[in-house]
Amino acid sequence: MKPLSLAIVLGATVATAACRGREEPALNAGTRGPGPTLTAAPEPVLGFLDESREGVPIRGGVLRRRLVGEPSTLNAVLQTGLPEQQILQYLSRPLVDVDARLGLVPGLAERREVSDDGLEYRFFLAPNAVWEDGTPVTSADAIFTIGKAADPKTPSPVFKPLFADLERVEAIDAKSFRARFRRRDAMHAYAFTLPLLPEKRFAGKSFLKARENRAPLANGPYRLASWKTQESIELERNPRWPGTPGNFDRIHFRVVPENAVAYRALVEGRLDETWIDQSLKDRSATDARFAACCRIVEFYNLDYNYIALNNRSPFFSDSLVRRAMTMLRDRPAIVRGLYRGSARMISGPWAPDSPAYDASLTPLPFDPPEAARLLEQAGWRDTDGDGTRDRGGRELEFDLLVSAGSTAGRQINEIFAAELARAGVKARIRTLEWATFVERVDSGDYEAASLAWAASDANPDPFPYWHSSQFPPAGGNVAFYRNAAADELMEEARGELDPEKRRAIYHRLHRVFRNDPPVVFVVNASQKYAFRTRVRGIVTSPLGLYGFWPGPLSWWGTPDESVIPEKPS
Amino acid sequence: MGDARRVGDSGEAELTRYVVRRILLAIPTLFGIVVLVFLLLHLAPGSPVSASGSPESGRRVSGAAREEMRRLYDLHLPLPERFGKWIGRVVRFDLGESFVDRRPVSERIREALPATLALNGLALLLTLAIAIPLGVVAGGRPEGPFDRISAVALFALYSMPVFWAALLLQSLLSVELGWLPLYGVSSDDAPGGIAGIGDRLAHLALPVTCLTYGSLAFLARIVRAGVVDARSQVYFTAALARGVSRRAALWRHAFRNALLPVITLLGLLLPGLLSGSVIVERIFAWPGLGRLYFDSILSRDYPVVLGLSLVGAVATLAATLAADVAYAFADPRVRESA
Repeated sequence: MKPLSLAIVLGATVATAACRGREEPALNAGTRGPGPTLTAAPEPVLGFLDESREGVPIRGGVLRRRLVGEPSTLNAVLQTGLPEQQILQYLSRPLVDVDARLGLVPGLAERREVSDDGLEYRFFLAPNAVWEDGTPVTSADAIFTIGKAADPKTPSPVFKPLFADLERVEAIDAKSFRARFRRRDAMHAYAFTLPLLPEKRFAGKSFLKARENRAPLANGPYRLASWKTQESIELERNPRWPGTPGNFDRIHFRVVPENAVAYRALVEGRLDETWIDQSLKDRSATDARFAACCRIVEFYNLDYNYIALNNRSPFFSDSLVRRAMTMLRDRPAIVRGLYRGSARMISGPWAPDSPAYDASLTPLPFDPPEAARLLEQAGWRDTDGDGTRDRGGRELEFDLLVSAGSTAGRQINEIFAAELARAGVKARIRTLEWATFVERVDSGDYEAASLAWAASDANPDPFPYWHSSQFPPAGGNVAFYRNAAADELMEEARGELDPEKRRAIYHRLHRVFRNDPPVVFVVNASQKYAFRTRVRGIVTSPLGLYGFWPGPLSWWGTPDESVIPEKPS
Repeated sequence: MGDARRVGDSGEAELTRYVVRRILLAIPTLFGIVVLVFLLLHLAPGSPVSASGSPESGRRVSGAAREEMRRLYDLHLPLPERFGKWIGRVVRFDLGESFVDRRPVSERIREALPATLALNGLALLLTLAIAIPLGVVAGGRPEGPFDRISAVALFALYSMPVFWAALLLQSLLSVELGWLPLYGVSSDDAPGGIAGIGDRLAHLALPVTCLTYGSLAFLARIVRAGVVDARSQVYFTAALARGVSRRAALWRHAFRNALLPVITLLGLLLPGLLSGSVIVERIFAWPGLGRLYFDSILSRDYPVVLGLSLVGAVATLAATLAADVAYAFADPRVRESA
């Protein structure tokens, strides 16, 4: 569950187990180079769109995409956010990639081998993998990139944790290398979704300040054509890309911070796609101009939101109270009212499309009488008749922190506070600016906080965020959750390389989380994008619209909307 | 002649001493501002580490990475040491490097400066071009129909939230009518150089309008008040008595005297040319200093925020100094009393 597309654990374990002690078959045609492949895997349950086989792609034209903010770098090792990921996907290829169905596919490496003990990975680079200047991608580039990601002096928040157990990485020859880890973990396979950097371009330069960080050398289907600071980034085809070329001649990214403005730009024809929220989706339903030119693409990914409860606080240290909090959350009403039905209730730290999620477990119901009984059982009663429960002279009254950037979060929590008040629990909503909010949560200086889990990487390993050894400041278990059974299962899952056994462990773990909820898991809401109808070939994934291969590389577009007789359903 | 030169020399020397004194006084003022901004920024909740995710994505940085980033940004050092390091660089005209992209702060400011200067400069010129005639005409007949109507209209504009007006204008003039570009500095396919000027001006139209309409009210009302005051003066009546037309008397006599407070106000407004406008720059995706400032505050990019604050403080002090010097030049009593 690191920020970025590291794929999903079961896909990882499938691939890892399949190749242990033997050579893994090439997942892609070697002669085509590191091109796109879709594996035949079960489709996610809801909202999956696959237009990859609809129509004959048209080559040419410009795709106009939106960036919410400007990328801080185009150095793959230093990347921190979505804007970087969106652009790097066109420019820089990793050794292995993840496809729409969460399976591993080759990137720059045409094949790999994993040792019997699961500690050593060998990668064999595709012979035709080249940089845009025509020089070959070599094992020296891979070793340099991995070395930088693992270097303590390099701020690489996305990839560093994945290489934390790296013992050594060394070349076998110019086109192959081996990486050895100190500990066996199926997740290590996903460390190699790191896009490679050209070693020679960084020689003798400061890695953090090198010009290449804003002018990267591409090894992917496109290369950087121009970058106007705070305005736009333009990509053009990389003529040396050996794989299947992208459909558009150019990709034009425009920085448009405001959602409402991006929506207008889409309708006006200045953008071809933008992320939208529920309010813009509602607006589009009655907007004739939108209907004439655009369509909504909606699907579920692996994000979810939850109310973090500080298990160290006197209120939430008791599992009964945490269960009661979950049962006081009217999630069906949230799904119906705020999300117009496009959200799913969850009962553990995964979205329903994650293989770790046990769909047979129903979420705890909205049941105020039962919640009241649990609170009474935990000793919280309204002894002084002031409408708020108390115990030992202390009122059940706490601050619920909400990030100022989250409108939906604010609305959801206002409803929650009202529900709690009816049950004799007083929650004061405090809206904090993002950096302040995060600092409070990460340091454990809070009682309850509304959080969203951005799981675009799809790695379901809960260890870093829910194991009792991972309390802040070093770890990510900001809820300070401690459950011996859960700890044991998380440890067991990390060491288990068999995908089915691992899935079974996660399902047992899910049951523990459901019965002893560390926090209030709320919903997995759908993601909404608006597209010009001229853009076709869209494939969605639990990883989102991008963050998987080929993702937006499979999109194509007609030069004119009128060419398309009708919108795809 | 000899006496006149002596008097002139003495006046110049006096003025020079005054200017030097004011510059010397500006140095501790600037230092005070810098210390205050540094403290406010570093003592405010949140840090570059906690700000490195985003509320949109909900992303946060893991524990180990947080500690490494703290070291990278020198956040593990005591505050006085951090200040010492920063001020040590500033005195060598080095504003440091951005935490976000590791580029020199001066480079980032230099990139954003032209866009903001163009936007705010044009908005200021437009404000003056509209507000002054409005104020003079309204002040020419106080409580007359034009004065009343313009007052209501100006206050209505003043009360209109800029974000709302901006979105409304975008909807109408860009999306519905297609007359003006929606956002940005120029079109993607705009030609460079002189040929692209029309395109750039078209892109300026909406943001300049949004920056202008709100500031019309106070400037027009200041001019009006000055004109009304001047109308009651003897020289205005004398001008009319000499047979000067009403319009000429208003513009040549009343307006000239009403201009003095406007010039004072301009001295205060000029540093604002550098500060940018956060809301307008965000809505119109304008790559200026306002957006840079806002984004830098959100991401706790201390070097950029400090650099921009320093530039703003220097500009304000320079404008104040220039205004003081102009006054001293015009009025000897000021330099005598200083």
